[in-house]
Amino acid sequence: MAISTSTPVTRAAPAGRVPAKRRDDTRLAILFIAPALIGFLVFMVWPTLRGIYLSFTKFNLLTPPTWTGLDNYIRMAQDPVFWNALKVTVYYVVVNIAVQTAVALVIAVMMQRLTRRTWLRGIVLTPYLVSNVVAALVFLWVLDYQLGIANHVISWLGLDRIAFLSDSTWVIPTIALINVWRHVGYTALLIFAGLQTIPETVYEAARVDGASEITMFRRITIPLLRPIIALVLIITVVGSFQVFDTVAITTRGGPVDSSRVLQYYIYDMAFGRFQFGYASAMSVALLIILVVITFVQYRLTRAESSDLA
Amino acid sequence: MATIATTAVPVVPKRRFTFGRTAAWAFMILVIFLSLFPFYWMLRTALSSNNALYAGSDSLLPVQFSWGGFARVFGLQTGQEAIDAGGAGQPIQFWHYLLNSVIVSSLVTGGQVFFSAMAAYAFARLQWRHREKVFAFFLAGLMIPAIFTLLPNFVLIKQLGLVDTLLGIALPTMLMTPFAVFFLRQFFLGISREVEEAALVEGASKVRVFFRLILPMSSAPLATLAILTYITSWNDYFWPLMVSYTDRSRVLTVALGVFKSQTPQTGPDWSGLMAATLVAALPMLLLFCFFAKRIVNSIGFSGIK
Amino acid sequence: MRRLLAALSAVTLLAGCGWGGADAATGPGGNGTIEYWLWDSAQQPGYQKCADAFAAQNPGLRVHISQYGWDVYWSKLTAGFIADTAPDVFTDHLAKYAQFVDLKVLRPLDGLAPTADLRDGDYQPGLAELWKGQDGKRYGSPKDWDTIALFYDKAVLQQAGVDPATLGTLSWNPADGGTFEKLVAHLTVDTKGVRGDQPGFDKDHVKIHGLSAEGSGGGGWGQTQWSAFTGSAGWQATDSNPWGTHFNLDQPAFQQTLDWYFGLARKGFMPTYEEIGGANAIGTDKQIQSGIAAMGLSGSWMISTFSKLTDAAGKKLDIGIAPTPIGPTGKRASMFNGLADSITTLSKQPENAAKWVKYLSSAACQNVIGQSGVVFPARPEGTDLAIAYNRDQRKLDVTPFTDQVKEKTTFLFPVTTNAADITALMNPRMDAVYIGSAPVSSLTTLNDQLNKLFEVAQ
Repeated sequence: MAISTSTPVTRAAPAGRVPAKRRDDTRLAILFIAPALIGFLVFMVWPTLRGIYLSFTKFNLLTPPTWTGLDNYIRMAQDPVFWNALKVTVYYVVVNIAVQTAVALVIAVMMQRLTRRTWLRGIVLTPYLVSNVVAALVFLWVLDYQLGIANHVISWLGLDRIAFLSDSTWVIPTIALINVWRHVGYTALLIFAGLQTIPETVYEAARVDGASEITMFRRITIPLLRPIIALVLIITVVGSFQVFDTVAITTRGGPVDSSRVLQYYIYDMAFGRFQFGYASAMSVALLIILVVITFVQYRLTRAESSDLA
Repeated sequence: MATIATTAVPVVPKRRFTFGRTAAWAFMILVIFLSLFPFYWMLRTALSSNNALYAGSDSLLPVQFSWGGFARVFGLQTGQEAIDAGGAGQPIQFWHYLLNSVIVSSLVTGGQVFFSAMAAYAFARLQWRHREKVFAFFLAGLMIPAIFTLLPNFVLIKQLGLVDTLLGIALPTMLMTPFAVFFLRQFFLGISREVEEAALVEGASKVRVFFRLILPMSSAPLATLAILTYITSWNDYFWPLMVSYTDRSRVLTVALGVFKSQTPQTGPDWSGLMAATLVAALPMLLLFCFFAKRIVNSIGFSGIK
Repeated sequence: MRRLLAALSAVTLLAGCGWGGADAATGPGGNGTIEYWLWDSAQQPGYQKCADAFAAQNPGLRVHISQYGWDVYWSKLTAGFIADTAPDVFTDHLAKYAQFVDLKVLRPLDGLAPTADLRDGDYQPGLAELWKGQDGKRYGSPKDWDTIALFYDKAVLQQAGVDPATLGTLSWNPADGGTFEKLVAHLTVDTKGVRGDQPGFDKDHVKIHGLSAEGSGGGGWGQTQWSAFTGSAGWQATDSNPWGTHFNLDQPAFQQTLDWYFGLARKGFMPTYEEIGGANAIGTDKQIQSGIAAMGLSGSWMISTFSKLTDAAGKKLDIGIAPTPIGPTGKRASMFNGLADSITTLSKQPENAAKWVKYLSSAACQNVIGQSGVVFPARPEGTDLAIAYNRDQRKLDVTPFTDQVKEKTTFLFPVTTNAADITALMNPRMDAVYIGSAPVSSLTTLNDQLNKLFEVAQ
């Protein structure tokens, strides 16, 4: 990312004018930056510090917090529901991201090779426009055990009906796929844009050498897309860990605990059971996990370097 | 997700009807079908009546065509009528929630774009000490996942006395997001310096340059950011859920969740629910129809080398 | 640019002032408007009549009633406490009120002049005492009570050749289910027309189940699920009630009963977790209406819903009511629950609110409610009016509900503190047993967890 240098450009002063001073816009800059800085400090920095503080307290929102030291963290380490929530969330993220990235990649390549028309990209993006809540409601209906059209098709094919959202083996893959439906278009467009950065000449050369589409995909497209995919992965993984809307609408953590993702458990702990302190501790845990994962991802995929340069 | 630099679209090689091509098209047609079918299904169910849904649930067309679902959503059916049609007795005040969503999204979009633009300009074009350090500080904010600040932000909003107000919902993202500042700064860095310098020599202040020159020249990325921000804000669920408790500050996404949980004891009001989802999704779909090309083309990367 | 700024500031002003729009009045009322919340839409018309009569008797005072469905009622209420938008008076439930007392959001009624003279003896025996906190103060004034009974589809029973009169003598036991399970099996029919008690019955493809299922009962101590069975097996949830601190889910009486009860689903006689809709389960009434179940246990608050049930074609279903079956103790049992009206500490006009509560608990209002036939009011005269209404207007004999009280075969809903935590722990464990992914013995672990909640100082 190009960063402009900070030496000001001084022009030769036109005759008769006082030579221009070295510019210092500090006062103006403060004015321009003030609202954003206030927003940043008040709604990002302060809550982060506050959240960390609350994680060491017992707080029911209606009376002032009381300091409890490491109690919340000790409880968290021994809480089977927390560890289960972590496991469930990780499982969800893996299924969601794997499917979403793979399908998005294929769609992006299709769009690249088949037709560049905007209408196709527009259609693919349509699910992104509706909220997670809308998507969850629609699929709640489509996948209904008794009446959903999906199960009708399945029984028409002669198979047993599937309880997509009330069977513990199906529930996480189902929720993951609902979110894939919503996000795959956006991800595909991101990758598609990345594809545009690969010069056509590379493909031309390969074709001249007699390479097939699939070979070109494997040997050229994927390696050159690496930084793009890496960046997309970092963004989507962080977002995926925060899954809440879909679970809140469809399963509320059930059946048993099989879809009780971390964010839902935190929400229920804070607003259902009035244990804000413990909920904050779990949020801190989640933050640490995300930072570590992002860092690891960045390193593993060498996202900052590109084979194109 | 910055603006894509306009590239000339390379010529696609001569089309051939290979097996590969047909398979590829078949795949894309499947993708198109899967993307759009749920919308059709929403419409079909919304136009059916609840009682008939149980018998004719596998029909591809609306069963026992009725506008009842939409009537309930717009609050046009009386309590008893609604209960008889399989709905809950409570109507959903659609227009009110729509207005709330519009207010919140407009606040967030207007504020965020404007204030982030100012900050981005300060980072890109103004000269001042510690500029790069402060920017790095801002950038670190990108790493904080939203979920972490949600609970403490809620406590803050409560202490400010803004719980259950639209301002309370809009405030945290109304002033800036690190992403918006980063995005706009990238673009401002790319604006040619000559025009700006010319105006400054003419005696214009930097402020004037910003308002009269930079902003109009950046209308494209500004509009792009505005549209994306609007969509994100419109579809937000978790934060408005936490902050709003009564109809006073309820937005459309939360209202949908409430409508769903107002399930009458006899079972979900599917036709009303599907009508509600359709109606909730409509504003964004319409927005998309008008701005499709811009939105689609705006998703991409620029200058990431 | 200027116009944009102007528009933005106008919008901000609107937003900051909490623009009310169409619906306002959901916070504590002011100037003589008392905000009252309830969840049962069927009861609302009756209470509106009370509200009108109250306003007539108390010039300058007015009651505004808001109804929110059960699912959102409690979250809205607790959210209201957080956001200071709670009502003045609200319908309270035994399972929740202890938590509210802990959070100090309920105002004791003894301290307010209009309600200081409420007498326990005016209400059905035992009801008023339930609403006194551990500190002895009264936190709710009894409103109504409810018990459990068996609702059945008369047409289905007739088809099966069952005489409804025999339902009153049914008995069950954890070993073989007794005459109760025999009946349930007989009423179950698979997709090929084979009944549950005939050879060749296919338990995986059942058309109509003998008994309905209302989930695992983890959220409400099995009130409409298994409480009638555990109660008639002589089991008590806690060491003492109210305010018990030691739980008995590890006792054989409890575990054997539940094993038998959920076993009915395994045998195909009761719908499974998926069949009733999982996290979005449908109730007994919908199951009977759509032909998934022939009969089922439900509460007296559902009487009016059942009396209005129609089939898909719109024809009214003929529903009958029978008492819960007799258990190993030789007696039948039913959980006895009651609702009350509570005043919040956030109310800005507690004296006026107390006047409304006093009126709600008076004979005048309770008789009106009784005559609407929706619930059994807490006062005995109101109860008699309800029985008469059901007999005369709906041709329904509701004595299976009221006889439990008369014959003293009821047991109280378990009242404890930490209710939210208990539910959060119980629900998934009970669901697991219902689904079959965990054995009944896993409830012993649950019991330990529940006991631990009370060992740790609050």
